[in-house]
Order: sequence, then C-alpha cells, then structure tokens
Amino acid sequence: MQITLSVNGESHALDIDPRTTLLDALRDHLDLTGSKKGCDHGQCGACTVHVNGRRINSCLALAVMHEGDEVTTIEGLGEPGNLSPLQAAFVRHDGFQCGYCTPGQIMSAKSMLEEFGNGWPSNVTDDLTAAPDFSDAEIKERMSGNLCRCSAYPGICRAIRDAAPDEGMHKTEAAE
Amino acid sequence: MTEHLKMDEVQPRLLDETTQGAIHRPMPRPEGPLKVSGRATYAAEWKMDNAANGVLVRAAIPKGHYKVDASSVEAMPGFLGVYTDRMPRNAAQGTMNTNPAQIGDEIQYLGQPIAVAVAETFEQARDIAAALKIDYDRDDDVAAGPDTAQQVNEKDDPFDQGDLDRAMADAAHSVDATYTTKGHNSAAMEPHAALAVWDGDKLTVRASLQMLGYNRNELADSLGIDAENLRLLSPYIGGGFGSKLGISPEAIAASVAAKELGRPVRVVMTRNNVFETVVRRTETRQRLRLALDADGKLTGIGQENWQSNLPEEPFAEPVDLATHFLYAGANRRYGQHIAIVNRSAAGSVRAPGEAVGMLALENAMDELAEAAGIDPIDLRVANIPETHPENGKPFSSRSLAECLRQGAEAFGWSARQAPGARREGEWLIGMGVASAARTNILQESKARVTLNPDGTALVETDMTDIGTGTYAILGQIAAEMLGLPPEKVTVELGDTDLPKASGSGGSWGAASAGSAVFLGAKGIRRRLAERLGCTPEDLRLQDGVATGGNNRRPLAELMDAPLSEIGHLETGAKSNDVHQAGYGAHFAEVAVNTVTGEVRVRRMLAAMAAGRILNEQTARSQVWGGQIWGIGTALTEGLDHDPRTGHIVNNDLAEYHVPVNLDVPDLDVIFVEERDDDANPIQAKGIGELGLSGAGAAITNAIYNACGVRVRDYPATPDRIFSHL
Amino acid sequence: MYDFEFERPRSIADAVKALKTEEAIAFSGGQTLMPTMKQRLAMPSKVVSLTAIEEMRGVRQDGSGIWIGGATTHATVARETKDSYPALSSLAARIGDPAVRARGTIGGSVANNDPSACYPAGVLASRGVIVTDRREIPADDFFEGMFMTALEEGEIVTAVKVEVPETAHYAKFIQPASRFPLTAVFVAKYGDGVRVAVTGASESGVFRWTEAEDALSGDWSADAVDGLSAPDGSDMISDLHGTGDYRAHLVKVMTKRAVAAC
Repeated sequence: MQITLSVNGESHALDIDPRTTLLDALRDHLDLTGSKKGCDHGQCGACTVHVNGRRINSCLALAVMHEGDEVTTIEGLGEPGNLSPLQAAFVRHDGFQCGYCTPGQIMSAKSMLEEFGNGWPSNVTDDLTAAPDFSDAEIKERMSGNLCRCSAYPGICRAIRDAAPDEGMHKTEAAE
Repeated sequence: MTEHLKMDEVQPRLLDETTQGAIHRPMPRPEGPLKVSGRATYAAEWKMDNAANGVLVRAAIPKGHYKVDASSVEAMPGFLGVYTDRMPRNAAQGTMNTNPAQIGDEIQYLGQPIAVAVAETFEQARDIAAALKIDYDRDDDVAAGPDTAQQVNEKDDPFDQGDLDRAMADAAHSVDATYTTKGHNSAAMEPHAALAVWDGDKLTVRASLQMLGYNRNELADSLGIDAENLRLLSPYIGGGFGSKLGISPEAIAASVAAKELGRPVRVVMTRNNVFETVVRRTETRQRLRLALDADGKLTGIGQENWQSNLPEEPFAEPVDLATHFLYAGANRRYGQHIAIVNRSAAGSVRAPGEAVGMLALENAMDELAEAAGIDPIDLRVANIPETHPENGKPFSSRSLAECLRQGAEAFGWSARQAPGARREGEWLIGMGVASAARTNILQESKARVTLNPDGTALVETDMTDIGTGTYAILGQIAAEMLGLPPEKVTVELGDTDLPKASGSGGSWGAASAGSAVFLGAKGIRRRLAERLGCTPEDLRLQDGVATGGNNRRPLAELMDAPLSEIGHLETGAKSNDVHQAGYGAHFAEVAVNTVTGEVRVRRMLAAMAAGRILNEQTARSQVWGGQIWGIGTALTEGLDHDPRTGHIVNNDLAEYHVPVNLDVPDLDVIFVEERDDDANPIQAKGIGELGLSGAGAAITNAIYNACGVRVRDYPATPDRIFSHL
Repeated sequence: MYDFEFERPRSIADAVKALKTEEAIAFSGGQTLMPTMKQRLAMPSKVVSLTAIEEMRGVRQDGSGIWIGGATTHATVARETKDSYPALSSLAARIGDPAVRARGTIGGSVANNDPSACYPAGVLASRGVIVTDRREIPADDFFEGMFMTALEEGEIVTAVKVEVPETAHYAKFIQPASRFPLTAVFVAKYGDGVRVAVTGASESGVFRWTEAEDALSGDWSADAVDGLSAPDGSDMISDLHGTGDYRAHLVKVMTKRAVAAC
C-alpha cells in the first residue's frame, strides 16, 4: 500500500505491506531505529512513540492506520550535543544501563509529565477530582508500562523528577 | 610493545597514588548521549542494503525427529529459502569456546530451533515460518520435568567432610528444611539478533554477545570455518545477564543462510523465542541442614540440590558455590542431582549458583537464628570462618562483618520487632537480612592503550559493555593513569579485530579488562618517565602535564607521535593460593497484607564490599539491578512448564513477571571501603552479581518477621502467602 | 500474520459493508487484536479499521444515562465521565497503562470480553446496553462467557450505554508486575437495587455475584458482605498467578472494599 507518514515533522512516502507495524515502518523503512522492539506485543514499552502528542506502543499499531497522524520518535526529541532536558537527566542520573529500553522510557516520561499537567489520574491516585501529587508512587505507577531489566528504575525516577521543571509540566491540549 | 603481568604477587596500589581524580567518583556513561537519543546501534539495527530477513522455525513437539518440507512455502511472496544446516539445539554455554550441540534432525524440547525461514521482508519471513510444513516423527516417551525423568546424574562433592548426620543429632539447635525455586529467564530487553555478511571466505557478524573471544571460536566451530576468517561486532548490547554468553542459534542460522544466498541475512528472535530457546536458569529443590552448638557456633552445613538439564549439556547450576566458604562448621555435605529432561537448556542466568543457592542458605540461617534465639546478624558474624573451611586457604579482603554491621546501623535494624508485632491497619511490617557473597574470578585480558601528543587517548579491546559500565570505567582507568580528564579518552569495544579481553560474565569483566587497560597505561607511563628522566615511581601525570625528577613538561613536549602499549594480564598464583570473593549484606523492609497476602517491599539497603569501586555511579546501578532482581526472584518470577510437554507456558513478558517500576521502592546502597590486593593490580572485584546474591532472601526473611509465614517455595506470590496466614 | 487487505471506512454503514467480506475483521484500537494476529490466532483476509468513524466516537449524556461511542479510547472515557460517572471514569483511567489507554477502545474491550478485562465488569454492573449496527443488547445477555459474546458475524459494537447509579466503585486487585486485575469488582447502587459484577476471577468470564447483590440491596454496608461466604473457588480461574480459592477470596475482599469506598 502507498501511504504517507509524518514523523518528527517530516513527511515520508512509503510503499508498505499492510501488515507492517508502525514500529517496523520506523525501524526498517525509515531507518529510525531509536524506537526499540523488545516484545512486539505491547508488553514492554520499548517501542513507545507519540502519536498526535499521546504515547502509544508502536508495535501494536499498523503503519497504515497512521496516515495523517503526527508521529514523534526519540530521534525527534534531541541528539548528542543537543539533548532534551529529559534525555540529559537520564544520562546524569544513570537512568539506564544497556540502553535498550531507554528511548521508550524517555518517550513515556515526556508524555507522563504532560498527563500530570493535565491532571490525569493513575492507578494509585486516591482522589480523582484533585490534581494528582507529583509523588514517587505516582511517577512509578505511570512508568510501569516500561520494563527495564537492567532495573534502572531508581535512576529513571530521579531523572524524571530532575527534568520535570525544564520539560514544562503544564496543561496541554492534545488531539485524541 | 606489551606490558605484561602474571598475577602471582600483590601489586602496589598505584591508583591510590595517582592524582587525576578520574576514578572512583560517580561519572555518567560516555556513551549515554547516544543511548538516550536512540543513536546507539544494536545488532539488528545496522543499515545493510540488500539484507534478507530470517525467522527461526521451532519444534512444536518435545521429542522426536523432523523433516522440513520447503516446497510447502516456496510459492509464498518473498520466499528466499529455508535452511536447517548446522542448526544448534541451544546456545553454547559461557566460555565453552566450541560449538554448541548440533543434533541434526533430532528434537529434544518443544521450542527447539530447527530451521530458519528467509524472505525479502520480515513480515514475509514471519508468515513463511508459520506456514512451513514440517513432518514430525514423534517420540511420546517425554521427560517433561524432574519428576518424570528416567535419568538422573548424581554428583558427589569432593569437599564432603566429617559426619553431618552426627552433627545434626548432636546439635543444640538445627534446621533441616527443603526449599524450591522455579526456573528463571534472563529476559534481557534486546532480543537476540544477528546480521551476517560474507565477503568470499570472510564472515562478519554483528550480534548481541557478551564474550566475543569465545563467541568467535564457537561460531567458527559451529560453521566449520577458521576463526581467523570471522569478525564479530557487538559495540552495544541490550542486556545479557548470561543469556548472551555463548553463541546462539540466530547467529549460526544467519551465517548459514547468508552463505547460501550470497547476501546479508538478519535473524532476530521473537520474545517467545527468547523465553523458549535461550538458556533458562534451572528450577531447583534444595535441602538445607544446619547444626549449631550451644555456644552459637555452626558445627555442620549441608546443601543438597536437585535440578534439570538437557542430555549431554555441560552445565550445572552451582547452587552451593557460596556455601562452601561463607560460614564455618567442621561437618559438611553437598550433593547434586541433575534430571535429564525435555526442557530447554539450563545455563547461566545472572549469578548462577548464588541467585538461588543463597535464597535457601540465608533463609535457613534465619530459621536457625530464630530457633536459637540469636539475632540473625550476630549468628552470621559469629560464624565467619578464619580460613576457608574446606581447604584452609587464606581469604583475600573480606568485609562481611563490616557490611552486616554498617548496613544494620544505616538501615535501623535495632528497631526490628518480633513477628506480627508491627501492624499498620491491614498491613504487618517486618525486616529481614541476608549475607551476600560472590566468588571473584580473574581472566586473561588484553587491551591497547594509545596516548596522543594532543592529550587525548584511545582504549581498544574486544571487551563488551552489556550495560555494566565498561565504556565508563575503562576510560576512567586510562584517564587516571595517564593524567587526563576522562572526556579526553575514547573507548572502542566489541570488535574481535581488537585485543582480546575477558568478555562480560561471571562479574570478572571490570577487574580483568580494567587491569589490562591499567597495564597498557602503565607501560606508557614507563616510557614517559624515561623521556622525562625520572623513575616510573616518581612520575606524576595530571591534566596533560608530566612531573618528576624536578622536571615538569606538558605531554606534547614529550611526544611527537602517539605512544601505544598493549596491556596483557594473566591469572597467576593468587587465583589459586588465596580464596577471593566479594561480600555484602542485604536488608529489606516489607509490608504483608493480612487480607490479601500481598507483599510490598518498602525499602532495601545493600552494603557491599567489592574491593576498589571504579565508578560509584555505575557500580551503584549494578547493585540496584541486583536488588531489583532480588525482588523478582523473591516475589514475581518463575517459569512454568506444561506438565505433559515441558514447554514453557509463561513465555512472554505479560506472563513472566519481571519487576516493574512500581514494584521497586527507592533503594539504598553503601560501599564499604576496601582494596583487594590479592585480586588484581587495580584491587577491584566484581559487583554485578554480588548485588543479587542473597537479596531475595532478605525479602523473604522480612516476610517472616512481618507475619510469621516462612516462604520456602519461590516465588512468594500472594496466594502462597495468603494460604499460610 | 497473514497478508490482508486494509480498509478504513468513514461511516458505520461503510464499515458494515466492508465487513461482509469472508474472514474480514473489525479492528479498533488493536491492543488485543494486534498480538492475536501476530500469533496467527486471528487470520483475517481483510482488516477494517473503525478508528476513522466519527459517529462512533465521543461521550454524551443520554437521558439519565451515558452514551459512549464504540471507538472511544479509554483515555477519553476517563476524561469525559469524570464528573458524570466518577466510578466509570476511575475504571477507564486505570486500564492497563497510559499507552494502552491512548489506543484501546470500549467497543473493542467489550467485544473481546477478555475474562480479566475491566470494562465488562463496569458495563455489566451499570445496567449497560451494547449498541450494534443492527440492535441493542442488554449487557446481561451480551457477555456469554470467556471471550464469548452475543455478537454475530460482522456485527459492530457502535456504542455502549450505561445507567448512572446513585453511587458506585470499582475495586481492583492488581497483579504485581503485570498490572492486570487478578480479580476486580464493580459495585453500583441504584434506587431499586445493587449490582455487583466481577471480572478476572471466573472461568466463565465476567459475572454478577447475586448473593452479594441480594445482601447489599437489603443492607447497604461493608458489614453485609462479611456475612457472605466467598463464591465457590472451583469455578474460578486457577493459574500460575493465583489459585481458584484465592481468587474466590479476593472476590469477597474486593466487594467489601468497593462498598466501603462508596
């Protein structure tokens, strides 16, 4: 199938097998290998990207479903020498070891800060009507869709907390 | 030139004399910016025009023979080929250095790789692999697990001594208990992957591997080619934990298919494939016996274990590894029983031996302390042996008592109460402790260090960084020795064209490869001293300036061309004459819900002594990893096998539960200051596995202290706790 | 995954037409269907995406109840029902993880009827009605057992309607590590009775615990649950994450917690 995918602000025309997941389209067709394939079944979060500003598991999406959507990957956040605040904080706090889950962790963390700003609740939010606390339990719950077998979770939490002010944890309106 | 050292003698503590300040301190990983921006290239991600894609086909029966009917899929879109040649039954075991078992058309477990289907695209190959017709000749005589195995290999331990039965009978207090642990999967986040390219007789394979020197020989042997013609590249590895120690089916399959097709072939394992085919940690049953006299001294220790593996597979989980040397006691007995089963190969998973052996030993020590009415820390400290209790060898640096005491102080151990005494609503709170120990091993290693006149340096070795921090610490060692800021040092790893190091495994990488870098830099220091006109002992290097013998010169004035030295470390008498291990103590506080049996780990602390700590930040991350694996081992992780076929049924990350962020509280780590002079010239010991040794036992001991339930069957899922409440 | 055609219709009518092809399947958020297709457990000839159908999206008041379009994501339901039906909002806000909530839909969830899914409990307890392209089916008749529903071939869940109770709460015991509900209970109190719907526990999928409904309809208190014996553990799922007896015990514990939280 012929489709056009918009990734990190650039438009790409692709001739693609309809079975191709968004993740495989990024990795194999656009050479954007920053999004990782850890399980291919939506269980690990390594493939997390943003679609229209919301985090999704790109292994559970077909590329053909995302024509017209704006996709953001880790490559779109920053690069060596010009890292985003979250990326820099992950380096500073050793929020990773092998690095394989890291792009997904960072994409997830970026969305999570926005979800906080918008007052979205989580599994550990007691009062759904009040703005959620920026507590460790809230951060950890909201990051629990991203597995890290090296187990850098303490560093991940510290990095997120450190970068939150610079990432602008504020209310935004993203399209569904 | 080569700076060579055979570790026969204690070496001077040169890294305590140097003044650059590049070592010890926390330093972020130099490769970090590449990893956080998605620019670090893992095995499957190398851009290779014209690469075909292969998907492994795996046996759907547990035992028998098979024949592949390639004609059944030849007409499918994108079909390039189906290959069965040289397919290994499973990966090579760590440091095997030869081919893994290649058993032709025979099947010995469900999930065994039997062919690779290759097509133009991944989607096509996946479809072809699923549609391929396979004729099976099924053998129904299946040993699905240890209970139904007909063959059990027994091993008596040469270190058995005294009369344990007698010691148990005479003991003032004793424990005789049986513990079980389920199997474990490494579950590294990056699935195994390989990309093979032939150029005439020369083969290059980009793969995800821990020990390139060994892996090169293993792959060459598997393919029947000369190792000289094979180059392996693994600069970035998405976690290993033992699962990438030996050459694995995807690398062999990719190489075979690439040769046949005359074009590059990429083979990436699926997650199911990783669970079903990659080495598992065996399930264990362990009988622990401890005998204590009226003075609180151990008189006997016994640890007998039952485990399983495939036929002829050269590996046994060394369950009693730490038990041999951790505690005193004159009467000792061990035993190992390996059931031969139709399950995937058992092999090394992080801290083979201690990861499960220390659960049983340290739980039994807790039970003994309870029985004798002695504080668990006091019991342990009182039974630290003076020399190795079985062979009388002296110990190298050993701060077990300091770890227990400093850890207890920092954790607030004195606030611990009797089981059931501390309640918060539905929750009962408790504390637990366990010792940690991990044998320290040194392996031959080489590294090339090059100092440039512009004040930059290059470190080159085939050593790998599997997330352990190798890039950081090798650069720090070179920077410290050469008197350069660490950012001036570039580290190149993961290429068999570079000098051969130990590889990553057995927690020996940092000390072994680190010593090779140390030696290479030491050779450069020697040459700089000559040029400056001073002795190497008088030379001081800092921030690109050399000082010594009343001379002070910038490096650029001492050299007009790069200076290059190969550091070559060999193990020596110290490995045999002195017993070396890292030690530590784990503390845990848990809450147990009396209504649901749910366990929440509230906090953990690890006090670790592992010689010189090369980088406090990456070392701490390694210990965090160990503590969290301890949480998984204690509470959530366990492979379940189909009782009819032996097949691993929880073969993905949804059903095999590794800890997630919310399962982990903030964790404390203390490093107890130590130098191990007997270990190596940099006085450092391994820490990656030490952090796991005993960690889970501290949690289950805390569960007992909270609610009075003794966990003897792992993992302690809520239903298992609840049924005893 | 087999090769398939792909269509993304803009209206329910076009979707129904597209689904008339042999072996065509409706595809919503894909959070369940994608893994199923990769494992070749579903082998469609055609995949019909429902995500571009405007008339199947959104949340609105519907008399005394709430109408939720079948292709509405969990995240949207969580946000849009926060004031009108907090217990349902809470349920939606806690399904899986945020990445799943951004894609997964209520229609997909009820049509799949996973025995551990959250929505079937919420819909069943809330006197829900499943609206399809051809009829309306009361939730009591819709959920027929583990992964089984009253849906016919090619029938699409276009919307779900629920009645808003006086008070309600969803109590979920989440599996450590996987975050799936090991057992969860949705309790809804209406003027003329109480509904208690249980997910994650039974071999037959979501079910109403009628003994608890009777007891709570007479005496609306957590204590009323104490007097009940837990449902029969032999009918409950027994697997590596928990025994049947343990799940039966959790049904009672979660019911009590839900009532106490109302």
